[in-house]
Amino acid sequence: MPTIRHASRWKALLLSGAVLCLAFNASARAANFESPQDGVYADHIDWGMTADMSGPSSGAQNPWGQGFQDAVKVVNEKGGVGGRKINVLVEDTRYDATAERVAYEKFVSQTPALGTSGMGNSSAQTAMVPLIKRSKLPVVGTYTTAKAAVEPPTPYFYGGFCGFKEMAQTGVGFFTDHLALKQPTVALVHLDVASGKEYAGYMEAAVTARGGTFKAIPIKVVAADATPQVLDILAMKPDFVAIHGVTTTSILVMKAMLQYGINAPAFAISYLGTPTVYDGLGPDAGKNYYFVSCFSPASSDLKVSVALSAAADKFGHSALKDDVNYVAGYVIGNMVADAIGKAGAEPTREKLSAMLNTGYVANTGGLSSELKYTPTDHFGLTALKPLSFDYATKSFKSYGEYADFGKYLQ
Amino acid sequence: MLMQFLASGFMLGSVYGLVALGFAAIYKATRVFNFAQGMLMATGAYLAVTGSVVLGLPLVGTIAFVVVAAGTLGVVIQWLLIRPLAGRPLLAMVMITIALSIILRALIVIIFGGGAQTLRLGLPEGSFVLGSVRISAIHATAAGVSWLCMALFMVFFRFSKAGLLMRATADSHEAAVLSGVNVNRINATAWALGTILAAIGGVFLGQLQVASVELENIGLLALPAVVIGGLQSIPGAIIGGLLVGLIEQLSSGYISPKARDIFVYVPLLIILLVRPWGLFGERELGRV
Repeated sequence: MPTIRHASRWKALLLSGAVLCLAFNASARAANFESPQDGVYADHIDWGMTADMSGPSSGAQNPWGQGFQDAVKVVNEKGGVGGRKINVLVEDTRYDATAERVAYEKFVSQTPALGTSGMGNSSAQTAMVPLIKRSKLPVVGTYTTAKAAVEPPTPYFYGGFCGFKEMAQTGVGFFTDHLALKQPTVALVHLDVASGKEYAGYMEAAVTARGGTFKAIPIKVVAADATPQVLDILAMKPDFVAIHGVTTTSILVMKAMLQYGINAPAFAISYLGTPTVYDGLGPDAGKNYYFVSCFSPASSDLKVSVALSAAADKFGHSALKDDVNYVAGYVIGNMVADAIGKAGAEPTREKLSAMLNTGYVANTGGLSSELKYTPTDHFGLTALKPLSFDYATKSFKSYGEYADFGKYLQ
Repeated sequence: MLMQFLASGFMLGSVYGLVALGFAAIYKATRVFNFAQGMLMATGAYLAVTGSVVLGLPLVGTIAFVVVAAGTLGVVIQWLLIRPLAGRPLLAMVMITIALSIILRALIVIIFGGGAQTLRLGLPEGSFVLGSVRISAIHATAAGVSWLCMALFMVFFRFSKAGLLMRATADSHEAAVLSGVNVNRINATAWALGTILAAIGGVFLGQLQVASVELENIGLLALPAVVIGGLQSIPGAIIGGLLVGLIEQLSSGYISPKARDIFVYVPLLIILLVRPWGLFGERELGRV
């Protein structure tokens, strides 16, 4: 018996040694794994990020880019992903579709990246769908999501912002119930551009589904005054107003509504729920201004925003932590790091995309609604909630949890 | 509704007229078609942000800061960029002003970031009713100050010695030089005044919405205003600004916001084809 036991011990020792050797070899191979054509190197991974940093939409996309980079900096400070730091290659595309395409092609082969994020130009996304399918460079976490890119899902394309259809349905549903209306009368002031017309279509569908009356009132991106639009609103006497546009659109419309004594509440698209808009409005006009968002500004839930606030403070972006665009960038930066980790120890573009496509749920720590991708849904975020700003406490206030408003989505 | 559109158009057009007046002042004295006028207007809004938010100055202090800083900027532009190119082809001057606009935009983005800045100067807010027309206090203030600035400029231009020299230089650059007029100083004064007027327009537009580099696009409406009114005409620039404001409100109100571009730029084309010197400009006759 002692001899047999002795032999078994030797066998066990040999087996353990072999397993250890294999494990060591595998980990050493993974650590040394390189795939330069995918932007993956032994010590770092190249990742692309495009945003409008000096063009017409830079006011919103700059905070997004800063949030994204701050999240990645925190990940890198903690050792990166699988021992590799994430090196963000930033391209300023100035809200220009051509620049967006050039940047994407650069990340495909000139300075290869494992994936890219941002691409905040829906026209560029629509035009680039064939290129993305062909080039197979994953676009993960976009600042806006073009319908053409996700309906049907484009392989290698994964959205990362609240959708216009969901914004319309949540806003109309919430205000109809909140104001106890049976058949709401709703006016929408929208930019006379493709996304504005798309949003007007979703708003009309949401209002007419409740038997209400709807009117779309266009306004120019570069408007100096909203008197014609507000006189239209005055004539219609809506129960509530919706706003699609840029920062100045909200400020001009809300200030003009105050001037003409229109006391109806207004809700804006997610992008316009920023401290700049509320500062510009002031308490008198701002008290009637709401927005719907799938991201939570830091002050709306101090418990879930601890890490975000710490990152914003650390990297000199304290003023941005209440900006939903910064929060969105921060969430997507963390999601990208997590997705790279889940793509395995030897990540490639193919493995990353395959992982996302087979079903992925990001842990956003409550900073957003559920962010998940499935083989049939590459949109990412669907649930939204209404928010407003409390001038007395200087903090954002949400009107419930994301799950409370899922009932409005169709 | 018509009266409301006319009132709004008049008040907005007054601000356009102010910016257009600055454009005309520069063109009349120096013959430089200043494509940077829109960005100078946006710069005015950011100067006001600097005065009120960064330096914490009160309203009067902020206005004084904007006027001094804008005037200095105008002189620096003339001295550094325009003066060395005197006598060069028109294209070089035009390219200089376009480059100036791009540089100013980049500087603003570097200093203030790409986002818009809130500008709250403590100007009167709220609204009042005059007959059947509802008027916003800030719009009325903007129009009032614009007309005051335009009146002061007209008085300066018509009755002061510097204004007389400016008119003399505008009439004949060579004759002014031969008469011993310091043309460079006159040109610098014109640039300072043009920049100040644009900056004041920017302060009001920044207060009406937010300070943003995109204000440049609104400021560039001064170009059709001065072409319609007459590049050489000071009253023409003011009336051109008023026309653009009225056309904008009426076309947006009765047709569509995009109709503004048609109704502003079609008259510009007609004017250029039929009466290139503008509604109030004087036809230039060359002696052969």
